[in-house]
Amino acid sequence: MSAEAEEPSTKRDWAAIAQKVGVPLASVLLAMIISSVIMWVSGYDPFAAFAALFRGSFGTPKAFGDTLLKSTPLILAGLGLAYGFRANLFNIGAEGQLFMGGLAVAWLGLLLAGQPWWITIPVLLLAAMLAGAAWAFIPAILKARIGAHEVITTMMFTYIARYLVSYLVIGPLKSPGQIPQTGLLPSESQLPRIQSLFSEATLQAMPFLKLGRAHTGIVVALVAAVVVWWLLKYTTLGYENRAVGYNPFAAETGGISVQWTIVKALCISGALAGLAGAVEVMGVHYRLFDQFSSGFGFTGIAVALLAKNHPIAVVPAALLFGAMAAGGGTMQLEANVPQKIILIVQALVIFFVAAEGIVTYFVRQRQKEATSHVG
Amino acid sequence: MLGSIITPDLFASALRMATPLALAAIGGTICERSGVVNIALEGIMLCGAFAGVAVTLAIGNPWLGIIAAMLAGVAIAAIHAFTSINLRSDQVVSGTAINILALGVTGFLMEIMYGHPGTTEAITTIKPIFRFASESGNSFLGTVWHWINTIFLSHTPIVYLTILIAVVAQWAMYNTRWGLRLRALGEHPRAVDTVGVSVLKGRWVAVLMSGALAGLAGANLTLEQVGSFTENMTNGRGFIALAANIFGRWTPMGSYEASLLFGFADALQIKLQIFRGQINIPSQFFLMLPYVLTVVVLAGVVGRAVGPASVGKPYEKG
Repeated sequence: MSAEAEEPSTKRDWAAIAQKVGVPLASVLLAMIISSVIMWVSGYDPFAAFAALFRGSFGTPKAFGDTLLKSTPLILAGLGLAYGFRANLFNIGAEGQLFMGGLAVAWLGLLLAGQPWWITIPVLLLAAMLAGAAWAFIPAILKARIGAHEVITTMMFTYIARYLVSYLVIGPLKSPGQIPQTGLLPSESQLPRIQSLFSEATLQAMPFLKLGRAHTGIVVALVAAVVVWWLLKYTTLGYENRAVGYNPFAAETGGISVQWTIVKALCISGALAGLAGAVEVMGVHYRLFDQFSSGFGFTGIAVALLAKNHPIAVVPAALLFGAMAAGGGTMQLEANVPQKIILIVQALVIFFVAAEGIVTYFVRQRQKEATSHVG
Repeated sequence: MLGSIITPDLFASALRMATPLALAAIGGTICERSGVVNIALEGIMLCGAFAGVAVTLAIGNPWLGIIAAMLAGVAIAAIHAFTSINLRSDQVVSGTAINILALGVTGFLMEIMYGHPGTTEAITTIKPIFRFASESGNSFLGTVWHWINTIFLSHTPIVYLTILIAVVAQWAMYNTRWGLRLRALGEHPRAVDTVGVSVLKGRWVAVLMSGALAGLAGANLTLEQVGSFTENMTNGRGFIALAANIFGRWTPMGSYEASLLFGFADALQIKLQIFRGQINIPSQFFLMLPYVLTVVVLAGVVGRAVGPASVGKPYEKG
């Protein structure tokens, strides 16, 4: 689970990388084949479905913009999950921390109205990280001190966060009007759309920049990916994180505080999930309501696993699932296939990536057959 | 006001609410005792809930619905068994995949079978077995009879079946050869293997049993309690059931008792919501109660809980 890619220097290293990339690619391919069979059996045309999915996610600059839009929180949530996995911690409740990040931004953004953007944006992003980390803190302490399973505790905190947000947007934070949502963020707290950074003339000359709703949160996500990669590879913090993931007993013997490392790992994981909530509020909705996340925290699990927990690989993995989220609507509209099939694809990808023993399993079956023929 | 909260139907409701949790928790106990972590209880329960409603809507017989729910549970559990026992995948990851798969499959089937997402048509729920008349307040004995009747004699079949399952599983776990082997599988699989008993087979049986129980839990939810299926209706019950299993120290009776506690919390929050106007606390805080309680319980009201030694570790025949 904690495979580490080294700098390629010889042919053998390239082969190792090919193998590392090969397993995820094969997993995606297998998942697509099996889901095609499911669609076919259910009376749909899988080719039409995937063609529509592709058109809806990469077909036009606007469609690609939607893919970027959906990938942005997925990169951040995926990074959070991956960082936790590296310490052998499963932050299954990233969705709850994402909610708290969104909440922090929606609330503080209104209070900071009137401040210049170079103050509001960094302050809001930081606040979202703190909120996400805070929401992971109790599960982290419980894991470190008494070994309470983080899968159960972070999951419970996700439900608590959902009800909390659902109460706040109906109650104290509700903006005037019929709809249960918070007030609109002032423009200096909004992450601008990418196409708004270019002049009309530039967009005319380069129409591929007309990325529709895609916003600059993608920059935050890409920077985060590099920072997490650097943290894991070059800092003591990252080293301790990986050491605890590999073997907590050895790490403890080596002088690393396992408990403290667990707390830090889950909180950093939570901070990244909080950022995912922040970009969704600051870049897409500009306000908070109880359905503002379409399960990005949960899809982040699939993203991290597909990326084999490598922070840089999280980016293409998130693009894949972001494309499915973006193209799902087109697929349902044009090929009539219920969007839920995407969840099935997601689950299948996780199965195949996780089943590293699949190859050895079939080899063993072969051997068994061979020996039984001999006997 | 207290008198209108602490009523016999509060305890009856606690027993009802505890039932799906207890079934899944006992399933979790059996599974983890054999050495396989089952995070997938949530998804299995959801599939059971859907299968129960789908078959009942199609055939009109809720009893066949119950059987379908259990079979669906077994089928989904078989995937978990294959990936975690034969393929030696990370069991928590496999369970997570099943939870996502369950959301996808039930949602997908719902749309192609009924043409819309959300909630299915209602079915006629399974009725309570006994229906004795009772009234409170006429006389002391009449009131006592009313309490007994309401709390213990007002339930649907699966509620009683669950108590029976808890008792039988508890007895079997400590008094039969199956129970001894099951416990050994989770503690020291190598020893089981050495005496010539198949670790793989033992674990497969345990995982499939947990699937049947979690499927039955789903059937209880839809066929006896709610009367229809709604997407993601299990709402974290599978995870609370895992906590109940831990709180119950990996024993069937312990799981049942812990589920009673969580069931009571759920019953209480439903009851309190009726008085929301008078106590002026928003309903969302009541809805949080079972989840908060789960964290509090895990936080060590019970102290450090230690599971089977080899739980979560795939077994490789040496």
